[in-house]
Amino acid sequence: MTRPADFDAYWEAIDAELAAIDPAPALTETPLRSTERSTSYDLKLTSIGPYRIFAFLSVPNGEGPFPALLHSPRYGSVNNPPHWDDRQRYVVLTVMHRGQRLADTPFAADYPGLLTLGIESPDTWIYRGILADIMRGAEFLLSHPSVDPARVAIAGDDLGLIAAARRPGFATVNLTAPFLYRILEARLRTDAYPIEELNDYLAMYPDAADAVANTLSYFDPVAHAPSFQGTAILSEQDPGALNGPEWLEPLRSALGGPVIPYRLSHEGGTDHDALDAVLAKQLRVSPLPRLWPAAMKTIR
Amino acid sequence: MTTVRPPANQHRTSVRKPDDFERFWADLMAEANALPLDPAMTPVPLRSNDQVETFEIHYTSLDGLRIAGWYCRPRESALAPPYPALIVVPGYISEPTLPKQWAKAGYAAVGVAPRGKLRSNSRFDPGYPGLLIENIIDKNTYGYRGFYIDAARAVDFVRSRPEIDHSRIGVQGGSQGGALTLTTAALRRDVITCGAAGAPYLTGYMDAAALTRSYPYEEMNEYLRRYPEREEQMRATLDYYDCLNFAPMISCPMLISIGLGDDVCPPETAFDLLEVLGGPVDYNAWPRCAHDAGAFWEGASISGFLARHLHPIPVPST
Repeated sequence: MTRPADFDAYWEAIDAELAAIDPAPALTETPLRSTERSTSYDLKLTSIGPYRIFAFLSVPNGEGPFPALLHSPRYGSVNNPPHWDDRQRYVVLTVMHRGQRLADTPFAADYPGLLTLGIESPDTWIYRGILADIMRGAEFLLSHPSVDPARVAIAGDDLGLIAAARRPGFATVNLTAPFLYRILEARLRTDAYPIEELNDYLAMYPDAADAVANTLSYFDPVAHAPSFQGTAILSEQDPGALNGPEWLEPLRSALGGPVIPYRLSHEGGTDHDALDAVLAKQLRVSPLPRLWPAAMKTIR
Repeated sequence: MTTVRPPANQHRTSVRKPDDFERFWADLMAEANALPLDPAMTPVPLRSNDQVETFEIHYTSLDGLRIAGWYCRPRESALAPPYPALIVVPGYISEPTLPKQWAKAGYAAVGVAPRGKLRSNSRFDPGYPGLLIENIIDKNTYGYRGFYIDAARAVDFVRSRPEIDHSRIGVQGGSQGGALTLTTAALRRDVITCGAAGAPYLTGYMDAAALTRSYPYEEMNEYLRRYPEREEQMRATLDYYDCLNFAPMISCPMLISIGLGDDVCPPETAFDLLEVLGGPVDYNAWPRCAHDAGAFWEGASISGFLARHLHPIPVPST
C-alpha cells in the first residue's frame, strides 16, 4: 500500500483538531466496581467533532506511580470494564469510541456497517474520528498523575498501534490481532465479519475500489509502524495462515523498535497467560494466570 | 483463605429447582404465544450475494416488544428449498450474528437480537455491563425474563417460513449463545431437532460467579460486594433462570463444548450441565482452552454435529 503524499498533513490536521478542543475530563467514581484494591471511575472526554466519548478508568489504591495499560476498543458495540487482574496491577483505561455503547449519543454505530461508514474518503471515514478518540484517551492516560510514564502499554488491534505511533510515551504495544493491516488482501481470504463488510461494500460499489484503497492507505499500520519506537508484542497465527508470520513480516520489519513475536497455540488459556506474562515483564509487574488454581472462598 | 480447586468434573452444583419452575415458564410462554408474531422481512441487498439472500427481520415477543434479527437463506436460484433452519443466538457482548456463512452451508439461518441488543433496544436497554444484574432480586422482572422468550420466539419465526423444513430446526451459540441454545431447546422442545452450546453461560450462576473475577459474572460479584444482604434474594431469582433447571426439559441431541481453562464460564458448571441434560449428549472438553472452548478445533465438530442432524446441502459456488 502506497503511503499518500499528504499522509503527515492528514494526521497533523487531526492532531491540531484535538489540540484545539478542551478534553473537559469528567470523572465519576463508580463504587460498584471499586474495591479495597482499586478505585474505578466513569470518564467522559471530548474528542474531535466535538464528540463526547466515554472510558472506564481504574486506579490501584496505594502509593503510585503505577504502570498503565490502555485497552484499545474492540470492533463491536461493547467493551468490558477492566478486568480485576489488570486493575490490581495497572492504571487501566478502556476507551469507548464514538458510536459504541456509553458513547452512542448522538451517533450509534451499526454492526455490521461501521467499518465502511464514510470509507469513500479519508476525510469522511468514521475511523478518522475513532482514531482521534483513542488518541484522546491516550493523552489522558499518559498525563495521569498516578501513571509511571516509563511503564505505559497499549493493547488491542492495530488501532492501538496507530495511536501509539502518534502519541509518544507508550513503552509497549501488545498487538493481539491485526484489523486494518493488509485488509484489502485479507478480504479475499475470508468471508467472516467484520472484514466481510468490505466485500459487501465493494460488491455493491465496485467503482469505489480505488477510493477505498486511498482511504485505507492513511490508516495502513505499516506506514505508522516506524514511528513507534517501543517494544511490540506481536501475536502470530500458524505459518501460511492469515496473520501468520509471513503475513505479518512487512509489519514486523516496519516497526521502529524491538519485536517480541508470540506464536498462538489456539489454546485460549495458554495464550492468555503467556501474553499476560510477556506484558507483565515489560511493565515490571507480576504475571497473573487468569484461571485460578483454587476456589476463592474470599472472592467477595 | 483458599482451598485446592478440585477437577471440574467433580463439582457438585448448588442450584435448586423451584417447585413451580415449569409452571413459571409455561405461563410466560403462553403469554408470549397469545401475541401475534407479526413477522416482517426487509431485504438487505448490501449483505446479499449470488449464493445468499439476507433480510432484516422483526417479530413480536413478550410484552409486545419488537425483536430484530438477521435472516440469511440460500438464494433459491442457487439451491432449491426446503432448507433446514438454524437459529444462531448471541453472546453477552457480541453483536448478533449475520449468518451468511451458515446460509452458504445450506441453512436458512436466523441471527437473533434479543431485547437490549442493538436494533431491539428501543424499549429495554439495561446495557453492558448491566443486563446480568438487571432486577436480579425479582424473578418476575429479571432482565433475562423476556430475553429468553425472545430467543424462543425465533423458532416461531422460522416455522412461519414456507421455504423451511419444519422438521429440521437447530439452534447454536457460544457463551450466552450457549445458554440461549439450552433455554430455546427446552422451551421449544416440541420442535427443536438439535442444539450446539459452547462454553454455556447462565449455567450454575452462583457457583460460576464464585469461581471467577471475569466479566460478565463479575457483575454479580460487584453487586454482592455492595449488597451482601441480598444474596438469598439473588439466588432465589436465578434458580428460575438457571440453565441447569432447563436442561432436564431438553430431549433433542446436544453438543456441549467446554474449555477446561475457561475463566469466563467456569468448566465446573458445564460438567454440572452434562449430569442433568435430558437427551443424548456429546461433549468435548479442551485442556488449556479458555472461553474459546477449543474453537480452533471445535468449529469442525459443531458443523459436523449440526450437519448430521439437520442435513443441509451447501449452496453451490457460482
